[in-house]
Amino acid sequence: MNMNLISKYNEAIFDTDKKKAFQIIEDALASGKSVEEIVFEIIVPALDHIMDYVGKNMDVNLAQHFFASQIASEITEKMITKFASAPVKTENVILGTSQGDFHGLGKRIVAGCLKIHMINTIDLGLNVTAEEFVEQAILHKANVIAISSMMYHTATGENGCLRVRKLLQESRLEDKIKIIVGGAPYRFDHKLYQTVHADTWAENGNSAGLVILDLIKKAQPW
Amino acid sequence: MVTGIERLTALVNGNIIDRVPVFCNLIDQGAKELGLSIKEYFSKGEYVAEAQLKMREKYGYDSLWSLFYAGREAELLGCKKMIFSGNGPPNVGHMIIKNYEDIHNLRIPDDITSHPVFEQPLACLKILKNEAGTKYPICAYTTSSMTLPAMLMGMEKWMELLLFGPAEIRDELLEKCSDFFSKHLQAYKNAGATVFVYANPFGSTDFVSYKQFCDLSLPWMIKDLQQVGTEGVVYYCGSSRMNPVIDKVIESLGLKTFYLSPMDDIAEAKSIIAGRALTAGVINDIELVRWTKKEIVREVRRMFKAGMPGGKFFFGTLVMPYTIPEENIKYMLDAVYEFGKP
Repeated sequence: MNMNLISKYNEAIFDTDKKKAFQIIEDALASGKSVEEIVFEIIVPALDHIMDYVGKNMDVNLAQHFFASQIASEITEKMITKFASAPVKTENVILGTSQGDFHGLGKRIVAGCLKIHMINTIDLGLNVTAEEFVEQAILHKANVIAISSMMYHTATGENGCLRVRKLLQESRLEDKIKIIVGGAPYRFDHKLYQTVHADTWAENGNSAGLVILDLIKKAQPW
Repeated sequence: MVTGIERLTALVNGNIIDRVPVFCNLIDQGAKELGLSIKEYFSKGEYVAEAQLKMREKYGYDSLWSLFYAGREAELLGCKKMIFSGNGPPNVGHMIIKNYEDIHNLRIPDDITSHPVFEQPLACLKILKNEAGTKYPICAYTTSSMTLPAMLMGMEKWMELLLFGPAEIRDELLEKCSDFFSKHLQAYKNAGATVFVYANPFGSTDFVSYKQFCDLSLPWMIKDLQQVGTEGVVYYCGSSRMNPVIDKVIESLGLKTFYLSPMDDIAEAKSIIAGRALTAGVINDIELVRWTKKEIVREVRRMFKAGMPGGKFFFGTLVMPYTIPEENIKYMLDAVYEFGKP
């Protein structure tokens, strides 16, 4: 593990210093690191390291979460084009905000985190109906539907996660497709994910990446 | 009978008459009170005023709101589409800023008071002022320059512009938002509002680092408020915590009221403020939806135990989801009225 590099890189992330973060990666490449090592031994563990601070350290804030995810995603995208063999993305995750919700920041952080973990993300955007979530999950043989909600009523409304659960039940797809929810209301009530019948929840966009990886393992393969 | 203004004035002077002031933010609930849909309810200022007066009378708390919904500010700046819901506040359905050109073209109305979108809030304020202006504080919701862009271009794009620039485009937008803020607050002030909730989640270290707060947020906060003054202004970061910035805000702006996040440590806030301003302890009203009476009383007791020592403490709620059972609102207020006695 490149602890020194990870630490320097995360320092740049905490400072939201894009130039410095890219320079650290450039220097690592110049010193002989392969593009695969950059992604899997620096970028991925660095993001995991950030998550250690979530909820415990006030200085890990929304701007830093966003910045970390976007920079990691941008670097990964650049590195992948130079991989010796293209990474195979097998698992699909469906992502969107619940019906009536137009707040896309959390969803975007999640998408960035999944990208570095080589998970294929189908981003349905904002204000997504329950039917669309399920139809797309079936179409892409996805194992996870991730629903982001910024407002209490869009998180708990009958056309949101509750309806996604109902549709999965009716289609007998609950073993294959798991549901994760996230967003502000869930941080204020840690039991709320149960009220909306989700399988789990994540405290923030960055930790959602790891929770989703775990959820994929629990889902029955298609 | 003691009025809300009397309770608040006493608190400012370090006294409690019969109990501490209570700010209970029932907004969308007004529709339920009048038996209207949320969309219909917010179509007329007289509906909002009538429901505000009725709900205050029914529950006995100390505040009145002139707020319809936060997206109204985007409407004042040209947003044409609000998405109404059956059980919560409407969402901005049309972002007026889609590219940098839209920032150049954004025009701030010279006179908010005569703007057609302000007509109904104005009608609401007129009724509230006439009916209860001498007895209860009338609150207005005004979004800070650092936070308003999220409503105009979406949080993603605003965060992108804020962090990655170009800085000159970011500052052009902030300049316009600050101009809007001061005109908006002034319009409310002229119409009779007495308490101005300065909504500034981007002035919380849950959103930006302390360094970014000092370098970016604070200069714009100073600019926002230097034009309209700080009289009646309440510092509010939505559900985001503010304890780490309180001292700096007092030192730089001299604000006299801090409306905490439910996630802030109340005792810590009191210690930071050290009698220099009022502190509102704010209940987690998301959990209030499902709490039992026992849980509600326990939480209210905990908050007062942390907040009452040293005085200058009052009670507040956050956004009060539409689906909170009425009996839970009553349980909460009964406990507050009990624990809030001198």
